[in-house]
Formats: sequence, C-alpha cells, structure tokens
Amino acid sequence: MITLFKTWVSRDPDLAFAILLTVLLYALFAFSNPLFFTPGTHFAILERFAVLGLAGLALTLCIIAGEIDLSIGSNAALSAVLVVRFADEWGAVNSILFGVGIATLIGLCQGYIIAYLKVRAIVLTVGTLMLLRGVALFASEEKTVMLTNFDMPDFIQTKFWIFFSPASITVIFLFIMVGLFMRYTKYGREIYAIGGARKEAIASGVDLKRPMMIVFAISGFCAGMCGAIIGLRSGTAQPLALQYILLVATVAAFIGGVSILGGKGGVIGALVGTLAVNFLNTGLVFEVTPAYEVQIYLGILLLTVIIFQTMSVLYEKRRLRMSLLDDTDRARENLRATWRGKHNQSI
Amino acid sequence: MNAAGPNQFIADNDTRTFLQKFGLRIFLVFIAAVFLYFATTTDHYLTLDTLKAIVRDAALVGIMAIGLTFVTLSGNFFLLSMKETAALCIIAFAMGMANDYGFILSLAGAVAIAAMAGAIQGALIGLGGNPIVVTLGAAGILYGLAAWWSDNLVISYRRPHDAEWLGTGSLFGIPNITVAFIVIAIVAEWVLKKTSFGRQVFLIGANRAAGKATGHENFSMAIKVCIIASICCAFVAVAFSAQLSSAQANYFSSEFGSAGDYTILVIATVMVGGNSIMGGYGSTLRTSLGAVFISSVDYLMVLKGFASGARVLSVGLMIVASIIIFAYLRRGSRSEG
Repeated sequence: MITLFKTWVSRDPDLAFAILLTVLLYALFAFSNPLFFTPGTHFAILERFAVLGLAGLALTLCIIAGEIDLSIGSNAALSAVLVVRFADEWGAVNSILFGVGIATLIGLCQGYIIAYLKVRAIVLTVGTLMLLRGVALFASEEKTVMLTNFDMPDFIQTKFWIFFSPASITVIFLFIMVGLFMRYTKYGREIYAIGGARKEAIASGVDLKRPMMIVFAISGFCAGMCGAIIGLRSGTAQPLALQYILLVATVAAFIGGVSILGGKGGVIGALVGTLAVNFLNTGLVFEVTPAYEVQIYLGILLLTVIIFQTMSVLYEKRRLRMSLLDDTDRARENLRATWRGKHNQSI
Repeated sequence: MNAAGPNQFIADNDTRTFLQKFGLRIFLVFIAAVFLYFATTTDHYLTLDTLKAIVRDAALVGIMAIGLTFVTLSGNFFLLSMKETAALCIIAFAMGMANDYGFILSLAGAVAIAAMAGAIQGALIGLGGNPIVVTLGAAGILYGLAAWWSDNLVISYRRPHDAEWLGTGSLFGIPNITVAFIVIAIVAEWVLKKTSFGRQVFLIGANRAAGKATGHENFSMAIKVCIIASICCAFVAVAFSAQLSSAQANYFSSEFGSAGDYTILVIATVMVGGNSIMGGYGSTLRTSLGAVFISSVDYLMVLKGFASGARVLSVGLMIVASIIIFAYLRRGSRSEG
C-alpha cells in the first residue's frame, strides 16, 4: 500500500501537491469555522464549482495544448446574454442549445484561425476578448437582460441527494466525459502532443489544425455552459460581467499542475485545482472578506505557483548542464587515461 | 521602405503571393478611402476643434500604449496589469493630494509605486515566467491593493490644487495632456531609434538567442521595459486624477465610463498600430498613430450616433483584423512565430 502510494507520488508530484494543498485548505476552514462544516455549505461549494470548474477545465485544456484562451470571460458573458435573452421566447432548452452552440462555434473558429495563421493564441484571443464583449453589448442592447419566467432558475437549483443540483451533476458528468476523452482517445493524446512537443508532433504527422480546433471548441463549449448556468441561475445576464473568471480559472489550472510549457496536467488536476480555489473562496466569504481582498490572495497564490515552476525549470536546466559537463569531464579523463596507457606501452 | 539591398537577395526566390506583397497597401488605401468618405459626409467632423478633441482623447490611452510598446517590441508580449497598475497609482496620487503632500511628492509616490510594481513583474518575466500569467496574477494583487487602500471609495480633493495645470490647463490653446502625449511620443521614438538601449530592445525582441549570445540577457531588459510601461501608467493615472480631482480603484475598468477596459484598449492600440506582437518589429510612432486612428474612428461613431456597444465592437474588429492581416502577410516569410 505504502509503496503504491510512493510510486504514485513520485510519478505525479504536482497532482499530489495539489491534493495536499486542497485538503489542507479544506481542513483549515473546516476547523476554524463551525459553519463551514455543514451540508448547506457543501451544496454551495458544489454550486460554485459548477461555474468555476468549467472555466478551470477550459483553461486547463488550453494550457495543456500550450496556449492560453484569454477570451473565456467574454465568451461566457456573450453566451449568458444570449441564453437569458431568448429563454422566454424559445424555451430554456432551445436557448441553451443556441447560446452554447454559438460559444462552441466561436471557439472552433478561433482554433482554426490560430492553426491556419500560425499565430499564438494569446494574440488572437486578446482581440476576441474585446470583440466578444462588443457583440455581447450589442446583443443585450447595453442593458442587463432578465428572465420573466423563473421556472428554469428554480429547476436548476433544486437540491437532491443533499449535495447536488442539476447544474453540478451536469458539470461533473462533463468532467468525466472530457477526462475519458483526453485519456483514451487519439485526439486527446494529440492535444498533449502539440502542447509538450509541438515541432516533434508536427514532424510525426499530426495536423495542427485538428487538435487546435478541438481544444478551442471544448474551451468555447465550457465557457458557454458556464455562462448559461450563471445566467439561468440568477435569471439575469450582464454583458460586462464575468471578467473575474479568467484569473480564477488560471489559478485553478496552475494549482492543478499544468505547466506553461504545455503537455502537462490533466482533468483530475483541473478538478482538484478548482476545488482548492473554491474552498479558499468560500472560506474567505465566511470570514467576511470583500471580493477585492480575495483577488489579492488569488494573485499571490498564482505568482507563488509561477515562481516555483520557473525556479524548477531553471534548476532543471542547470542540473542538466552540470551533468553534461560532468559527462564530458569523465569522457576526457577516460580518453586521457587510455592515451596515457598507449603512450606508456609504446615507450 | 528601407534600403533596397536586402530585398535584392530574396527577389529571385520570393515566394510571397501578390496579395501578400501588396495586400497591406491595398488595404490601407481602402481603409483611408472609407474613412475619408465618412469623414467628409459627417457634419462638424473635419474641423480643427474635432482634431484637437481626438488627439486629447487619444492621449491617455496613447501614453500607456507607448509604454507597452517597449514591452511588446522586446518580445515579452504584453502586460495584462496595465489598468491595475494605473489603479494603484491613481489611489496613491489621490491619497497624497488629499493629505496635502503637494503635487511633486504625490507624483513621486505614484511613480515609485509603479516602478516597484514594474520591477517585480519584470524580474519574474525575465526569470522565464510567462508574461501573460505573471501579469494576470500581478493584476489581481495590484487591483486588490488599490481597492483595499481606498476601501473601494472615491477619494476626492478640493479644486484649487497644484495638479490642475496637468489635468485641465492648456498651452497656446492646446491641452497640456496633448502636449505631454506629443512630447512622450517624440522622446520614445528617439530612444528607440537613436540610443543603444533602443537597439537592444529590437535585438532581444527579434532574436532572443542572438541577444543572449552577445551578452544582452532578457532578465535586465524585461525589468527595464516593465518599469517604463508602469511609469507610463503612473503618469496617465496622475493626469486622469488631476482632470477629475478624484480617484477610485475602478476608474480604468469597463464599469466606469463607456470606453471599455483600459488594458485591452491599450493592447488594441499597440496592435492596430501594426507592431509585431512577437517583438522586434514596429515603432512607438506606429502606436501613437494607432491611438489617434482608434480615437478618430470612435469620434466619428459618436457623431454618427452609435452607442457604446457598437464602438467596443468596432475596436474589437480592428484588433482582430490587424492580427489576421499582419499574420497573413508574414505567413510567407516566417515559418513559425
């Protein structure tokens, strides 16, 4: 048992660290505040997870592919506006399909353009970040759009099995599906390949367009679902809202063990990272912390992870160089010894 | 554009298509024609007052964008913490003014804070951290600090104060902030083109490996360019606060005013100017012209009666169009970004 644990930790130290951090955060808040350790709080955490988890998942997949999608906040806001605006006319299901479909299509187009033009995703998505805000403002006529029929918000938040609601069940299901997809299909492996070793992947015949389109389509889909859930749950949607999602999702992804160089991390990491952010968020809310102070903690957390990652890369490079130097030294020593041996013999 | 020498070498095996060779010129002529058509058919647009208003509007975003151009040209993409740096500086400045420290001391405080924030971010970027992620985290911290320091309230100070000349004063009928914009644009262009520091920026941006081989590490360069960008933010924050005689942490966010998020507007300005986002190619003059262009289109749309949504949409279209066009033009000449 212990050896099994040891091999697991040494095989995936980032994930082990993430789980440790998450459990510590949970324990900290559970012991410091008696209110935290109630079913109601856990229901609230899962509700929040339904939203942040999707954003974290979207960003995790993008970073695995070696790119960052900056437009998820705008995409989610656009989807929220569309879903809420058309929910009364077309029925909730149709409007969800429409809003999420548009968001997925936007992601797909982004992926295609990135792969076709060979630009970096940050360059394009910082443009679409603004463009989609404009579209959202346009679609909502610069007002906060509202539902008139509140059946759907009620349905989405019905509590069952103590902890769950339709929203959180859907998100958990999506997590499982994406996890299976990334792990067991060729396309999932292609996504890892173009992140970790893009040149090698292209040289061995992976078409950059396909994995890029898949990643950004999933990212758009997740952003769209995130917007739809937020919009329908509160019954309102603002075109300028949801800007904070990018920071939260990035923190979640990096705690979950992705590397900015790509090719590392996974869906379980995204899950654990989001939960960590969630516990922190919920716990701080219990301590009556204003939203901007939560931002400070999130920023510090992100910078700490980045510093650790950068330092470990630097350390690894240095170790590699040292071992290379050692090897050459040893080889030279050997060469000299053999030469000396020969020399002595010849004399 | 520049000497014909290098072009003669590749003239024989130039694989670029006709569109890639002349596309940019055709596109620019087309844009100019459309712009001129609307400009001449809109009343009160082609007047000296409108021109003055356009350049004054462009000044605030333009100064920040000139600072960011250094970061972009040196190959460090862009900083997502521009508006948050400005938010912290505006609070610092207003705190100084409200407590009667005087203009000089308050300005010095704001600039010092900006330089510190820039140096820390630059160091992290220079060590190898991804600029986007580092500045995203820094943005959260800086905004949080600004809101926490001011309790998320508006800080205002009384009208006869010694910063008024910067906010609302004018020189020979030209607003002082416009004068500052023009001076900063000229100085920045001179620094980039004529000093060894400017050439180092281009060298590291164009080819980081060559820069490292010749002893120009990105570490010190990242710190320098981030400090320049942050100090430009501080200056803009001071000028903005001097205009309104007040400050709040969200003055540069999209919730305040209709102009939209300052960070994204600044990045848009750098991109629409046609600077290479991968670094090594571009100039601050292009950035300044980009700022004036965005502002003049915005003004035209205001006169035509468009709401803020359409204006944000148009700026977004401009960014995406410039990204796609420049990427398409370089597709033939550069194998991979």
